Amino acid sequence: MKLYSLSVLYKSEPKAVLLKAAYDVSSFSFFQRSSVQEFMTFTSELIVERSAKGSRASVKEQEYLCHVYVRNDSLAGVVIADSEYPSRVAFTLLEKVLDEFSEQVDRIDWPVGTPATIQYTALDGHLSRYQNPREADPMSKVQAELDETKIILHNTMESLLERGEKLDDLVSKSEVLGTQSKAFYKTARKQNSCCAIM
Amino acid sequence: MDDPCCFQYTVLKEKQRDEIGLIPCPEARYNRSPIVLVENKLGVESWCVKFLLPYVHNKLLLYRTRKQRLNKDELIDVTCTLLLLNPDFTTAWNVRKELILSGTLNPVKDLHLGKLALTKFPKSPETWIHRRWVLQQLIQEASLSSFVTKGNLGIVPAERTQRIIQEEMEVCGEAAGRYPSNYNAWSHRIWVLQHLAKLDIKILLDELSSTKQWASMHISDHSGFHYRQFLLKSLISQTAVDSSVLEQNSLRSKPKDEEATDSVEEPRVNLTHLLEKEVEFCTDLIDSYPGHETLWCHRRHVFYLQHRLSGRFPHSLTHLSPADCPGGTLNDLHLIPTSPQESQAMEVDGLNESSKQGYSQETKRLKRTPASDSLGLEMEHRFIDQVLSTCRNAEQARYANAYRRWLVTLSQ
Repeated sequence: MKLYSLSVLYKSEPKAVLLKAAYDVSSFSFFQRSSVQEFMTFTSELIVERSAKGSRASVKEQEYLCHVYVRNDSLAGVVIADSEYPSRVAFTLLEKVLDEFSEQVDRIDWPVGTPATIQYTALDGHLSRYQNPREADPMSKVQAELDETKIILHNTMESLLERGEKLDDLVSKSEVLGTQSKAFYKTARKQNSCCAIM
Repeated sequence: MDDPCCFQYTVLKEKQRDEIGLIPCPEARYNRSPIVLVENKLGVESWCVKFLLPYVHNKLLLYRTRKQRLNKDELIDVTCTLLLLNPDFTTAWNVRKELILSGTLNPVKDLHLGKLALTKFPKSPETWIHRRWVLQQLIQEASLSSFVTKGNLGIVPAERTQRIIQEEMEVCGEAAGRYPSNYNAWSHRIWVLQHLAKLDIKILLDELSSTKQWASMHISDHSGFHYRQFLLKSLISQTAVDSSVLEQNSLRSKPKDEEATDSVEEPRVNLTHLLEKEVEFCTDLIDSYPGHETLWCHRRHVFYLQHRLSGRFPHSLTHLSPADCPGGTLNDLHLIPTSPQESQAMEVDGLNESSKQGYSQETKRLKRTPASDSLGLEMEHRFIDQVLSTCRNAEQARYANAYRRWLVTLSQ
């Protein structure tokens, strides 16, 4: 049961702007960590770009679940978790973080912010605390007010894309991903990674 | 041509290395070493693997077919390199077996090497298999002192054995964390408890409590919960053994017999309480995390154990014969601890979910069960009702209904 990343973004047109992010890549093997982190940024931005304002969605990609909440004011949050992590708690976390963020950071700064310029430091603490959902959110057993049927479920990242768009293309064009990450993506796509020697 | 020497030199200090990994790097840059060492993590750039692996592989095969001599250091180096690139290469492990048997290689080195390989290949079957062979070698070496009698505690594992057991628990735990439902890691863990710890009750209890937190954070890890089922079953069988040993000894008391004079005062195991706590634990998880089948499977197992236990108390201290065991689920329960020379065959596969064949034997006994057991059934039905009335998760409802149907067949 793990949380891997927690990000706050602004849904600009046409691209999403990353405002702040926290990561926990400790469970990945050492030499994969920087690539994994880059991929999580890439994924978070892509998901926000392809999600409508005022929507909540969960996107499944392999063994990961990406939960996204885009508010009507274009402020958005993405949590990347594993499939054990209860989605209800993930959405509670997103709501809480976006509320807090909008109180602490002026609206004017959102469209042009970057992780370096944005003054919001609570994200790492939230990510760490919410690793254990029952400790972070003891009331999670109680039915949330959130109507779960309004959450859109996507079974793959592909379903977010436009007709004819390929994830491979988006990866190779991405500015967020370094050469090593792109190489990593290529090899992982080619082989069934559980049996790979190379 | 890349000489694996540079690789060996770094790996030779492998005791300090705690992780290996592959760095995706399609092209060599600047004619420098493909080995990257950061904070005791050993990385190999991927471009060199296609040169290195065939080179060392070939070298070993030439040795094996007697076309090329290699001295023992070279053999150790070559097999080490090979196994860190592909730990399922059995021949390399076998060469190392020969080196160990001839006294050239310290078996503990293979435990280190295996541990390192498992950081990248946490499932590797050959690594686990070789590991068990090495452990058996180590235990045989020290066979006279593997177990000692310790005052009131009866027979307990010696300190050295305890340390080995602890280390194995850690290695298994790490590997289990690196790959979901890592059957090979958990099976190894069970094997260690059976063959090295001889199902010592204190160790079983420790394992039950120390893996609880892990299980609660890996709620769909079927192998992790299967491990808890194994611990509980073993505690039941081992408690039965001790009770029957006590009974037998009190009937023919020999003054010199330590077991007769010292009552076996190892931790008193309240099995009913343990099982109840496990059910509580399971309930808590099912309520917190709706829609995870593993938790419902676990519940079936625990309920079934409670069920069997209440059928046995207080008079049936007779041993569990295979005829009593539905679907071969009890193959792993040893009434007498196995000796190290016995086969290292994995008996874990005997642990199946309560299969349908078992019910016919069980139903006869069910008709004789005391009233407390139908109370247990009632409580379970109430639990199911409560879940169904409050849950909103479609899968949770499905599992709850399936559980109800299972309970119903149990009592028919």
